Amino acid sequence: MNLDFTQFIPSLPYILKGVIVTLKIVILAGVLGFIFGIILSLFKISSIKVLGWFADLYTSIFRGTPLVLQLMLIYFGSPQIFGFQIEPYTAAVLSFSLNSGAYISEIIRAGILAVDKGQQEAAMALGVPYGKMMWDIILPQALKNILPALLNEFISLTKESAIVTTIGVMDIMRRSYQVGAEYYSYFEPLLIAGLIYYLMVITLTFLGKAVEGRMRRSD
Amino acid sequence: MIKVENLFKSYGKLEVLKGITTSIKTGEVVAIIGPSGSGKSTFLRCMNHLEKPTGGRIWIGDQELTNKKTNIMKVRQNVGMVFQHFHLFPHKTVLENLTYAPVKTKGLTKAEAEKIGFELLGKVGLSDKANEYPNRLSGGQKQRVAIARALAMQPEVMLFDEPTSALDPEMVKEVLDVMKSLAHTGMTMAIVTHEMGFAREVADRVLFLDNGMLIEDSAPQEFFTSPKSQRAQEFLQKML
Repeated sequence: MNLDFTQFIPSLPYILKGVIVTLKIVILAGVLGFIFGIILSLFKISSIKVLGWFADLYTSIFRGTPLVLQLMLIYFGSPQIFGFQIEPYTAAVLSFSLNSGAYISEIIRAGILAVDKGQQEAAMALGVPYGKMMWDIILPQALKNILPALLNEFISLTKESAIVTTIGVMDIMRRSYQVGAEYYSYFEPLLIAGLIYYLMVITLTFLGKAVEGRMRRSD
Repeated sequence: MIKVENLFKSYGKLEVLKGITTSIKTGEVVAIIGPSGSGKSTFLRCMNHLEKPTGGRIWIGDQELTNKKTNIMKVRQNVGMVFQHFHLFPHKTVLENLTYAPVKTKGLTKAEAEKIGFELLGKVGLSDKANEYPNRLSGGQKQRVAIARALAMQPEVMLFDEPTSALDPEMVKEVLDVMKSLAHTGMTMAIVTHEMGFAREVADRVLFLDNGMLIEDSAPQEFFTSPKSQRAQEFLQKML
């Protein structure tokens, strides 16, 4: 195999700039997706049936169709949906957060259901209102248990973000691909992209472990 | 303090409570006993609306729990509850367990709540555990914290749902002792229990439930020496 990384050294800063682009999408989509996920999971366990139905339908649609399709529908369909063409970056954040909201809502729902029912009763018996009970008592315990599953979701979000290259966002993937095109040699820049994604995921894993350690203090 | 009028509770077709009428006076300590499945826990849980009655009325003080307009949350702040399985908040320290509800629901400052919390921990003999997490405590210690947590809301009534049933035998006494001293302070208490000795010694009245009905309501001395109903006689025979 003949590999020559040296010729790509001048292009490294260009590819690495994609890290910022990818991170900007992933972090914002992750946070928004987490918020959507909490809201949807609360809908799912709500006693108001309509909310539950909405959340179930939402989940089935966003889990039942390809992410890349959702991305393209939102990007290319935006003139029809919103009345104007949105930025690729906006379309990426929107589709990723809506999509991961569906997955995260199922993770959080499972986490809430796994918290001992006595916790809710104890809070209720103390006269703590539903919202405070959820926020202070139930969700923190649920989060502790679902942290590994959430980490999985954020890892897959980080990697899947590479599909934004299809709507022209200048992320790691697209930049390395362009560098490949420039040199008529794709293998090395794609390997570099792979290494960058891998390092990002490893960092995320360590962050996750640190957070988990903090949350397990009470064990 | 508590008035219960013709209380019914069913789960679907299963009728658990079949028309219970009784009242508990301020400062009274009432033991609720009966065979398992008699509805005594359900009865107790109706008194702070953890179970929603299907019929009848309940008053706590002058507040009618069964009236839709009543703010149940406000009433609950005045009715402490201790569970069989403690249900301490595992992600909060012992002191935080005590201060959480007073701060969040009654608007106490953290300092005020902690002062009350420390005082109560002293009373249940656990001052040195203030900063421990519940997982580090024994069952008896957990239940004493749970009692202190309920008391931190400064309720007028305390409900106990088999508070010693989940404890190792050697830890039962420490919890009963705390309850005994609480009874001496004049707290209104309703206690579902299998501790006959405790009921006999501490309770002012014994309510005997069987099959969802209140069969006997008498002084402990009378109940334990000469129970009126045959069901109570049979029950006591099995217990001794």
